[in-house]
Amino acid sequence: METGDLSERLRSHDPAVGLRAVGALHRLAEQVEAAAVARARQQGWSWEQIGDALGVSRQSAHAKHGK
Amino acid sequence: MFEKFATGARTAVTCALEEARLRGDRRIGTEHLLLGLLHEPGSPAVRCLGVGLDDARAALEGLDRSALAAIGIDVQGIERPPVPASRKRTPFTSGARSVLPRALVEVRKTGGRRLGPEHLLLALLACERPDPAAELMEHLGVDRPAVRERLSDRTG
Repeated sequence: METGDLSERLRSHDPAVGLRAVGALHRLAEQVEAAAVARARQQGWSWEQIGDALGVSRQSAHAKHGK
Repeated sequence: MFEKFATGARTAVTCALEEARLRGDRRIGTEHLLLGLLHEPGSPAVRCLGVGLDDARAALEGLDRSALAAIGIDVQGIERPPVPASRKRTPFTSGARSVLPRALVEVRKTGGRRLGPEHLLLALLACERPDPAAELMEHLGVDRPAVRERLSDRTG
């Protein structure tokens, strides 16, 4: 899809389209994060490295994803 | 607020919390309350609704997919595992909060004393778009007046 097409859609549609997409993006981000962190842990990444990659502290990465 | 809840309704709220977390949502919304009810497929309320948990979950995913497609993001084939439970508190959305007093009104209407799954469902059936539970029921092709009728036959 072209970028122009995208902005056109967002402009022409009712705000529900954009708002719903943002909600879906939040969920998608959480799901992709969960998968990526699990894989990084399997491959031996430290919580510090994961935190740095996500732009959060080691503690928050561990608190959120640690078992 | 929850002291009037019968066991079935309490379970639904607990399951709604679980559904919100699994999906990666930070608040419990009306769509999660609806999914929460569906955890008890044998309950009279769910039998009146005639929708299964897996179908409802798939419908929510479908709504997300089309919302993302509208902004040019194709999530087909992306790994989307359930999100691990966070230790943070998960509050209700304002829409979900407003369902609870409406469910209590339904209890009073039927002269009951305990808030059961059927009262929660009646309150959810009254949601209007853009409420997420309303969107979900629409997407699932739920005939709301028919469900309401079947429910009122039961609750009297």
